[in-house]
Amino acid sequence: MIEINSDIEKMRNIGISAHIDSGKTTLTERILFYCKKIHKTHEVRGKDGIGATMDSMQLEKERGITITSAATHVKWKDHPINIIDTPGHVDFTIEVERSLRVLDGAILVLCSVGGVQSQSITVDRQLKRYHVPRIAFINKCDRVGADPYKVIEHLKSKLGHNAVLMQVPIGLEDGHKGIIDLVRMKAIYFDGADGEVVRTEDIPPELRSEAEEKREEMLDAVTMFSDELMEAVLEECPTEEQIFQAVRNGTISQEMTPVFMGSAYRNKGVQPLLDAVVRYLPNPSDVENYAVDLADEKKKIKLLSDGEAGSVALAYKLEDGPYGQLTYIRIYQGSIKKGDELFNTRLRKTFRVGRLIRMHAERTEDIDSAGSGEIVALFGIECASGDTFTEPGLDYTMTSIFVPEPVISLAVKPVDNNASDNMKKALNRFTKEDPTFRSYVDSESNQTIIQGMGELHLDVYVERMKREYRAEVETGKPQVAYRETITQQVEFDYIHKKQTGGSGQFARVKGSIEPLNKGKYEFVNKIKGGRIPTEFIPSCNKGFQAALKKGQIIGFPVEGIRVTLNDGQSHAVDSSDLAFQTAAREAFKQAYRKAKPRILEPIMKVSVESPSEFAGSVFASINQRRGIIVSSVEDGNFSRIDAKVPLIEMFGYATNLRSLSQGKAEFTMEFKKHARVPENIAEDLIAEYKEKQRLQTS
Amino acid sequence: MVKKELIKRSPLRILEKSIQGGLGKGNIGVLASRKGVGKTASLVHIATDKLFQKKPVIHVSYASRVDYIINWYEDIFKEISKKRKLESAIEVHDEIIKNRIIMNFSQEGARTEQVLKSLEVMITQGKFAAEAVIVDGYDFAKASVDDLRKFREFAEKMGIEVWFSASLRGNEPIFDKDGIPKVLINYLDEIAVLLTLSFKGEYIGLNLVKNHNFPPQGELPLKLDPATMLIAEE
Repeated sequence: MIEINSDIEKMRNIGISAHIDSGKTTLTERILFYCKKIHKTHEVRGKDGIGATMDSMQLEKERGITITSAATHVKWKDHPINIIDTPGHVDFTIEVERSLRVLDGAILVLCSVGGVQSQSITVDRQLKRYHVPRIAFINKCDRVGADPYKVIEHLKSKLGHNAVLMQVPIGLEDGHKGIIDLVRMKAIYFDGADGEVVRTEDIPPELRSEAEEKREEMLDAVTMFSDELMEAVLEECPTEEQIFQAVRNGTISQEMTPVFMGSAYRNKGVQPLLDAVVRYLPNPSDVENYAVDLADEKKKIKLLSDGEAGSVALAYKLEDGPYGQLTYIRIYQGSIKKGDELFNTRLRKTFRVGRLIRMHAERTEDIDSAGSGEIVALFGIECASGDTFTEPGLDYTMTSIFVPEPVISLAVKPVDNNASDNMKKALNRFTKEDPTFRSYVDSESNQTIIQGMGELHLDVYVERMKREYRAEVETGKPQVAYRETITQQVEFDYIHKKQTGGSGQFARVKGSIEPLNKGKYEFVNKIKGGRIPTEFIPSCNKGFQAALKKGQIIGFPVEGIRVTLNDGQSHAVDSSDLAFQTAAREAFKQAYRKAKPRILEPIMKVSVESPSEFAGSVFASINQRRGIIVSSVEDGNFSRIDAKVPLIEMFGYATNLRSLSQGKAEFTMEFKKHARVPENIAEDLIAEYKEKQRLQTS
Repeated sequence: MVKKELIKRSPLRILEKSIQGGLGKGNIGVLASRKGVGKTASLVHIATDKLFQKKPVIHVSYASRVDYIINWYEDIFKEISKKRKLESAIEVHDEIIKNRIIMNFSQEGARTEQVLKSLEVMITQGKFAAEAVIVDGYDFAKASVDDLRKFREFAEKMGIEVWFSASLRGNEPIFDKDGIPKVLINYLDEIAVLLTLSFKGEYIGLNLVKNHNFPPQGELPLKLDPATMLIAEE
C-alpha cells in the first residue's frame, strides 16, 4: 500500500507529555490500539464486509506495544497522526529541543489523584517555551481519591492555563462509568472487552443539572475565541461546529487548554480524546516554521507547507537499528521522493534518498514519497541530528548556528578492551547526536575526555554508554573549563635570534596586548613601510594564536585579548615564517605575565523551581554556592528562582536540592558567561596547577 | 567621572536634603502619580543610586514581568553612565547587579503576610542584607491601612527603608487641597515621605507633600527628564 502525501489538513504531529506516574505508557498503548483497530476494521470491511474481530493472542501482542521509536505513525478516522516520543528527563539537552520542535501539538496527561506535580510543571514549561498548543487529559479517574476538579484548579493556579472542562465524569473511583460530552450534551460509555464500542446515550437525569452548569461555564470561556459563537450563544442556538471552531481557535493560539478525562487503564475516554486531537490540535499548515537562508546573509525565511516550494527537512533524531542508522526527519516544505537528491547544508554534501520509511507501531512501511508536514525515516544516511536537508539549490538551515562551548569535562576510562570498543562506538554516536557533547583524547595524559554542558548532561551520557552500548567506564573528577585573560595593556618588543651554523633565525616584533571586552581574540596589524614583510604578518598572527591555547597561570586557553603589531624588524636571509611565529609566541608570553592575567570561570544561569515553602532553603543553597540571586517569582504556592552561580559550585546540586525540598524542587542550568574567579580561589587553582606540573616533570 | 563623584553629584542628593537627609530606616516613602508619568523609572533611579553606594536593594513587583524590570534597570544605568561619562562602567554594572534582587509576586492579590514572609526569608536565609526595598505596582485602592502598617512594622524590624509607587486613577480631582492624593489620605499616618509627580507645562515636576513630621516643601527643584526618564535638576 502506497500513500502519497496525505491531505496536510488531516495530518497531526503530536507528543504525549506527562508526569512519570500519570499513565503515559498505558494511554499511548491504548491510542495505538484503538487507532489500529479502527484502521484494521476499515480495511477488513473493505475486503470481505465482515466486522473485525481479534483473537486474544493478537490482542495481547497489541497490548505489549510500547513506543520505542522516535515517531509512530497511526491513523484515527482518516487522520494520519504521528506520535512523537518526547524525552522529558533532561531538559537542557538539544535532543529535547529537537523533539519538541517537530511537534505541532501535545496531550498533557495528568493524574486525577496526583494532579499537577513538579514534573508536569517542567514538561509544561518546555511545551510553553516552544509554543506548542496543548490539550489536557485527566487520567486515572477510576482511582481512589480521583478528583478531576482539583486537577483543573491546579492547571489554572500552578500552570497558569486557561483550562476549560470539555467533559464531566460519570462517576469517579470505582463508579467511573464514562463521560459526558459538554459540546454534544451526550453521555458516552465504552463497551466491549476493550472499550472499543463507543455507546452514546442521553445524559442520566441525576447528572443533567451539573452538566448544564458546566456547559454554561465552558461556553462562557469559549465564546472569547469566536464572535460567531458569541452571537449564536446570545441567540441560544450555538451549533457543535461553531463550538469546535472556537475551541480550536483558543487552543491553537495557546490561550486556552481544553480538558478531557477518563481512564486509559479502564478503557474510558480515549476515543473522545483522539477526536479532540484531530478536532482541536493544529495541522502542520497551521504552524509557522522558519529557516535561515545561508546563501542570503542568514535571512529568516518562512517555510511554506503548501505549494511547490523546494524541499526542506530537519533530521531530528538518529537511531541505531539492526540495518544501520535510521534518520528521522520532519519535512517542512516541499516533498521528498525515493531517489531524490538532497543537500545536507551542514556537511555541504549531496546524497541520494535510498529508502523512505514510515514507522508504524508494529512494522515499517516503505513509501515512495512524503510531503510537507510528514515525519518519515531515511536509511543509511551520513548525517548528525539537527542537520537540515534541502533540495539542491536551496541553502537553508533549521537549527541555529550557535552551539555553546562545553563548560565541563570528565575523563572516562573503559574497564576492559570490550568496553573500550563499545565506548568508541558510543562516543561516535553521541557526538553526532548532540553538538554540545564532545570527546577527544588528551595528548598529555592519553585519557579520553568527554565534554558537555553540565554535570547531569555528562552523567546521562555515561549512563547511556553503560545501558545502550555496554561500555562500562570509570570516570574521573569533573573538570571545569576555566579561561585566562589579561586586565591591563602591556607593550612588547621581542627579538628572536639564533645563529647556530647554517641559516640562522631572526625576527623582531613590537606592539602591545590589551584586554578586549567583546570577543575572544583580535589581531590588529599597524605595520608601516614593510618593517615586517607582508608575507610574515600571518606568521605573527599564527604565533600569537598558538600562545593563546595555553595560558601561563593554570594552563587554560586565553581569551579576551587584542594584539596590536606596530613595528618589527626582519633579516633578508635569516627571517622566516617559523622565526616570526616563534618571536610572536615568545613576545606574547613575556608580555602576558606583566599584563596582570586573571582566571575566569564559567558562570551558569540557574533556574530553580520549587514550592514556595522551600524558597528560603533554596536561597540559602544558592548563597552557599557563591551564587547571586537575580530574581524570584512567586506564583501561588510555587516559586521560580533565577540565579547566577559558578559552575564549579554546582557539582552535586541536584542531590542537595532534592534533599532540601523533599524531592519537590528541580533546577535547570545553562552557560551564561565566563567571569573572574575570586582571589582566594584563584590562589588555590594556581597552587594546584603548579603541583600538577611538578609531578609531571619529576 | 568616577563612581564616587557620580554619587556625590546625583540630583538625588537634593531630594535627600529636602527630606531631612533621607527616608531613613524603618520608614515608608511613597511616590504617587497617574499611570505612565514615570513612577517606575523614578523608583529604579532611587534604587540604582543605592546600588551605586553598595547598598543592597530588593525590588518587589506585583505586576510586571522580571525581564521588563531588569530592562528598566539596564536603561536607567545606561542613561546615568552616559550622562555622567562613568568610568569602567562594565565593572560598576557587574558590581551593582550583585546587590539587586527582583522579587515578583505574579499571583493576583498576593497576600501581604506572604510577601513579607518571602522578603524576610530572602534577607535572613538568603543572607541578603537589603537596606532598601522598592515596591512597585502595589494597589493602594484595594489594600488596607492594616496592610501598609505591616509593611512599616517589617521595615522597622529589619532596619530597611521601603519605597512604594502608587498609581492614581479615577476622575479629577485626584488630589486634595494640600496636594495629597485622595487614595492615600487614610494611609498618611504610615507614610513618612510622600512625593507626587505632575505635569508642569513642558516637564514633569516632583512635589514633596509629606516630609516626615516637618512642613512639606511642595515643589522641589527637581524634574523628570522626559528623554532619559532620570530625575534631574531643574
